[in-house]
Amino acid sequence: MDINGTLINYYFHCKRQCWLHANRINLENEFELVDIGKAMHEIKFNNKKNSEIKIDNISIDKLTNDYVIEYKKSDADIEAAKWQLLFYLKVLKEKGIDRTGKLIFAEKNKQSKKTIVVKLDKENENELLNIMKNINELIKGDIPEVKLIKGCKKCAFYEYCFL
Amino acid sequence: MKTKYLMSMGTLSRKDNSLDFKNEKGHNYIPITEIREIYLMNEISLNTKLLSFLSQNNIIVHYFDYYGFYRGTFFPKEHYISGKLLLKQINAYENKGILIAKKIVLAISINIYNTLYHYYRHGNNEIYDYLNYLKDDCKNKIEKSKTINNLLAVEGEIWQLFYKNIKYIINQNIDFSRRVKRPPDNPMNAMISFGNSLLYTKTITQIYHTHLNQSISYLHELSKSRFSLSLDLSEAFKPIIVFKTIFDLINNKKINLKEHFNKKVNYCVLNEKGKEIFLINFEKRLDNKFDHKSLKRKISYNSAIKYDGYKLIKFLLEEKDFMFFNDKEKK
Ligand code: SF4
Repeated sequence: MDINGTLINYYFHCKRQCWLHANRINLENEFELVDIGKAMHEIKFNNKKNSEIKIDNISIDKLTNDYVIEYKKSDADIEAAKWQLLFYLKVLKEKGIDRTGKLIFAEKNKQSKKTIVVKLDKENENELLNIMKNINELIKGDIPEVKLIKGCKKCAFYEYCFL
Repeated sequence: MKTKYLMSMGTLSRKDNSLDFKNEKGHNYIPITEIREIYLMNEISLNTKLLSFLSQNNIIVHYFDYYGFYRGTFFPKEHYISGKLLLKQINAYENKGILIAKKIVLAISINIYNTLYHYYRHGNNEIYDYLNYLKDDCKNKIEKSKTINNLLAVEGEIWQLFYKNIKYIINQNIDFSRRVKRPPDNPMNAMISFGNSLLYTKTITQIYHTHLNQSISYLHELSKSRFSLSLDLSEAFKPIIVFKTIFDLINNKKINLKEHFNKKVNYCVLNEKGKEIFLINFEKRLDNKFDHKSLKRKISYNSAIKYDGYKLIKFLLEEKDFMFFNDKEKK
C-alpha cells in the first residue's frame, strides 16, 4: 500500500485507525463530523473551487511560491498534522519543488499560535523514512487493540471499536 | 429525513440537484442530500438519467408493487469495498458458518423472549410454556445443532410455536392459525409479509453502508437472494421491529381489520390506508432511540441493524466474539 498523508496522520493519532484505513475499512461517521469538517474546510478556506491540488497520492490544500499550506480544524493533534505536512514536503521535494510548510488551525486550544511553520531537514527526513517503514509493518500485521483516547468519540470507527 | 416513501402513481426524475416527484397533485421537489433510500410503493416511471444520479449519490431504491409485495432493489455501485474482508467472509462461510448461523437463531429466540416477556408480566399466562421453551429447550437445540439444516429446523420450530402463541398476545379476534406467505390469506399474514419485506429492505440499505458483501450469508442459502446476508441480519430484528409494530397496531386499535385490508377469496393484503398506517408506525419504531450501554450514546434501532454488520466485520477481521442485537445492549 502506498503511504499517504492521512495514514501518517492516523499513525500518530491512533494505530488502530491507521490499520483500518490502510486495509480499506472506512466507515460512515454517524455524527457526520467528517462532513462538518469538510464543509468547514470549504467555507472557511476554500472559497475558490479546486484550490486543492492533487499530486500522486497526496492532496495539498494550498501551494504558494514559498509555502505548502495545510488547514486543520483544530490543533488537537499537532504532532500528527506536522508529520503529515512533512510528508507532503518530502513528496514535493522529490519532484523538485522545494517549499516550507505552514499549518493553519481554525480553532486553537492547545497552543497560542494559529500558524506553525515546519521545515524539512536532514533529521526529520530520516525520521520520516523511519515512520513510513513502521507504518508499512503496522498495516501488514494484526489489527491493534482498541485503546480509548480523547479522539475516539469523534472518530468514524467509534461504533466499530466500542460495540 | 433519510427514507422517502412514494405512495402514489407518478414520475420520478432529476431536476438539477433535486429529485422531482410528479403526481396528480403536481411537482414535489426533494433535495438529494436528505435521502438515503427511496421506496417506490406504486407504479412509478423513471429514466436512466435519474438512475445514474441516484447511483452517484449512493441512494438505494426499493420497489414494491401496488399490493405491497416486494419486487426488487436498485443498488448503486458499492462504495465500500475491502478485498481483505471479502476473503474473510468467504473463509468464514467455509469454516465458521455454523457458528455465525447459531448466533442468528439464538438472537431470534432471545428477542422473541424479551418481546413476549412483557406480555407475560402483564398477565398473559398462556405463553408461559413457550417462554420456557425459548429459555431452555430451544437453547439446547441450537447449541447441539451440527448442521445448518438442523439449525433451520430449530428456527422453523421457534417461529411455528411463536405463531401459535400470537393469539394470546393480541386482543382482537383474528383467525390466525398458520403462516401463509404467497399470497397471505388473512390480515395477520398480510402484515407479517409486508413487515418482513420492509425490514429486509431496511437491512439491505444498512448493510450497503458497510463493507460486507451482501451475497454471502450464513444461515440462509447463498442462492436465496442477491442480498442473502440481509436475510440473515434482519432475522434478529423481526420480533422487535415487525411484530412489536403489528401487536401495537392491533392491540391499540390503530389498524382496523375491516377498513384497512383488501380481502378476496384467496388472498388478503393491506390497502392504501392500511399500508400508510403500517409504514408510519414501522418507521417510528425503527427511529426509536435508546441508550446504548457500551457506546454510551443514544442510537436508533435502524442504526443497530448496521452495527450488527459492524459486529460481524469485527468477528471476521479480529475474531472478536459477539452477540447479535438484543436487549442487553440497552442501558
Ligand atoms: S475509535 Fe479510538 S481506538 Fe478506534 S480507531 Fe478511532 S481513535 Fe482508534
